[in-house]
Amino acid sequence: MARQKTVESRPVESVVSDGVDLVEWYYEKGFSDGFPVAPPTPEKIAATVDALGGDGDYVEARVPPRWGSLTREVLAINMVMAGCKPDYGPVVRAAMLALCSPAFNLHGVQATTHMASPLLVVNGPIRKKLEINAGHNVFGSGNRANATIGRAIRMILLNVGGGWPGDLDKSTLGSPAKYTYCIAENEELGYLAPYHVEKGFTEDDSTVFVMPAEPPHSVTNHVADDPEGILDSIVSAMSTIAHNNAVSAGHCAVVIGPEHAAVMAKYQWTRHDIKNYLWYQATNTFGEVAFQHRYGKVYNRSLPKWYKRDVDARIPVVPSAEHIHLFCAGGEAGRFSAFIPGWGHMASPVLRELDGKAPAGGGMVCEDGTCYL
Amino acid sequence: MPLDAPNTGHVVYDPRGIVEATAIPLGKRVADLNGLRLGILSNKKWNGNNLLRKTRAILEDEIDFAAVNFYEKESFSKNADPGLLGEIIADNDIVLTAIGD
Repeated sequence: MARQKTVESRPVESVVSDGVDLVEWYYEKGFSDGFPVAPPTPEKIAATVDALGGDGDYVEARVPPRWGSLTREVLAINMVMAGCKPDYGPVVRAAMLALCSPAFNLHGVQATTHMASPLLVVNGPIRKKLEINAGHNVFGSGNRANATIGRAIRMILLNVGGGWPGDLDKSTLGSPAKYTYCIAENEELGYLAPYHVEKGFTEDDSTVFVMPAEPPHSVTNHVADDPEGILDSIVSAMSTIAHNNAVSAGHCAVVIGPEHAAVMAKYQWTRHDIKNYLWYQATNTFGEVAFQHRYGKVYNRSLPKWYKRDVDARIPVVPSAEHIHLFCAGGEAGRFSAFIPGWGHMASPVLRELDGKAPAGGGMVCEDGTCYL
Repeated sequence: MPLDAPNTGHVVYDPRGIVEATAIPLGKRVADLNGLRLGILSNKKWNGNNLLRKTRAILEDEIDFAAVNFYEKESFSKNADPGLLGEIIADNDIVLTAIGD
């Protein structure tokens, strides 16, 4: 039997009576993330398509696991429904292109039983232009850009990618990060070099970083006045067998709060110093990861071959310091940081300049504007 | 809006984007498994692996396969490598796989 190509044919737009409650109409159609959507209008969609460069039929990506076509018009519709301003378009698009790059394995992230959701961190001048919050309550509510950029991504993952709970999204528990998960790095404080500069971009470049992640785990330390003491608290949060990094390796993120970052800066600890300290100190024993072989002999092929399998052997939480993605964010008051476990070796975080520009500094593998970390 | 205003309607939008797909027809079912080469593809997950090993033992008790070949994906959450799939196609008549979380 020959293979046959099929293309869905249905109108993107239609007309309903004046009396229809549009918020309820989008609910009834199953096009909402659970919150009321902002009903799209032709004017708002046109403005957003213009902000994306025009040509609404241009296909930016196909979004797994449904593999729906993300045209600029469809991107705009979802952005308007999420409450985005047109100016947010380049950030949402860059994030979707990063998510749809093969290394990110969005198919797996959408379908997994784990609770991972894409974390988006924005760097560079676009943060200020769009007023993306990098300060107080950075992971929380109260800011339009953070709320709606992250929500637009989720709407696209649902509507275009088909990641509906229980259907193609098989997450056992999910997480609040599946509503929105977008922050900016607090570059202005200057305690650490900005993340994208560490990776070879310039301070004038604007980038998006995406990583499949659990929600942030608070790290409190109101006592230590040196880097080692603060980082030992983060090491404590990392050194557990409960998260996916412990059993599946891969990448994680650490967000240093400004008061903690000020201590790092006071002692002239660089990103390199912090990441290496965390990597070297954050360990479990292989026996802990293998449940002391209580349920049968465990090798765990999800962990690197070079991890020693003796029960007393100490193994790192992530395979290298470069698997720890370090950011400075949050408000200036409060001695808190956060550890954000990733999904595991099954996905690579990616970094993308808004227009797909490669970093001047090099050092990363970049294809079609997406850099693999 | 005045009550006597004409009903011009609201424009509503479908946010899903179209799907372009190529249908892949199913292979013909085999009538007799005896004498065939069985390929077993594991996704390397603990429970999926256990299911395959136990299923293999039951099948080998009942069926006289010409060969049983065992394969593993690089990662349970990624597509199998195209080279591996080609090897499985070349060296087997039927394939058994399992999903076990």
